[in-house]
Amino acid sequence: MRYGKVYVEDVQVGAEIPWLVKGPLAQIQLTRYAGASGDFNPIHQDDEFARAAGMGGVFAHGMLSMGFVAQVLTDWAGAGTVRRLGVRFAALVRLKDVVTCRGRVLAKTSKDDQHLVDLEVWAENQRGEKVVTGRATLALPSRG
Amino acid sequence: MPIQIDRSVLGKEYAPYPVTVERGRIKDFARALGDLNPFYLDDHVGAASEWGDVIAPPSFPITFRDETADSAALLRDLGVDISRVLHGEQEFELFRQLTPGETYLCRAKVVDIYDKTGRSGPMAFVVREIAVTDRTGEMVATMRQTTVIRL
Repeated sequence: MRYGKVYVEDVQVGAEIPWLVKGPLAQIQLTRYAGASGDFNPIHQDDEFARAAGMGGVFAHGMLSMGFVAQVLTDWAGAGTVRRLGVRFAALVRLKDVVTCRGRVLAKTSKDDQHLVDLEVWAENQRGEKVVTGRATLALPSRG
Repeated sequence: MPIQIDRSVLGKEYAPYPVTVERGRIKDFARALGDLNPFYLDDHVGAASEWGDVIAPPSFPITFRDETADSAALLRDLGVDISRVLHGEQEFELFRQLTPGETYLCRAKVVDIYDKTGRSGPMAFVVREIAVTDRTGEMVATMRQTTVIRL
């Protein structure tokens, strides 16, 4: 059940998809993400550097949170379904933050054999503040 | 006193660069996200899938950097120090799945520069689009990324 497969017929406009909770974030995950992504900006690794830059300390790569948001979609609908994902990084994610990723179906369109589902997606921290907001389009299979 | 950035970079097209999708890189990326989806990590699951191999997570194209050049080329062109930079927005459009062993060509262009004043003061927004094509020139993915510079 963890790695779902969803058919377009089962999707209801307006429905929320299951939440994905990530974290609390530890420095090691930011370091690991730096290595995996190639983004070695010290602002995500070096607290002194981040403070000197006026950022009040280390914060997570926006792309780490975007990866979490991609995962809430693929955990629900399956790997390989995402056609478009666009986000805005609305607030910084700090060490020890818990990031909850959510999504809601906005529309369904079918044309020929292609079935697309548009979603509103977002991630919020443990205080309920939105840290990522965006939109996604998934291509889903049909039972037909 | 806000810093100045070099706005003549608007419209600049960077030299195309090749990237090759590596199996281990896909897996490291998925594990770094804590996303243990077997379609990313398990070669047997990948081989039996409709794609015939493991695939990359949706945000994997962010790893498509120009290894042959200075990765900070944009910041250098803008005349900006990395400590002033934030990631504002990011978009991926994926036309097909990325699998290990494929080599693609990336073309980056600066498509917009605009200013806004936020809570923390004046900021410049630099928007880049990166087109990823295969060896036949077919579009595989596009990225649109907005870099925020605290002026």
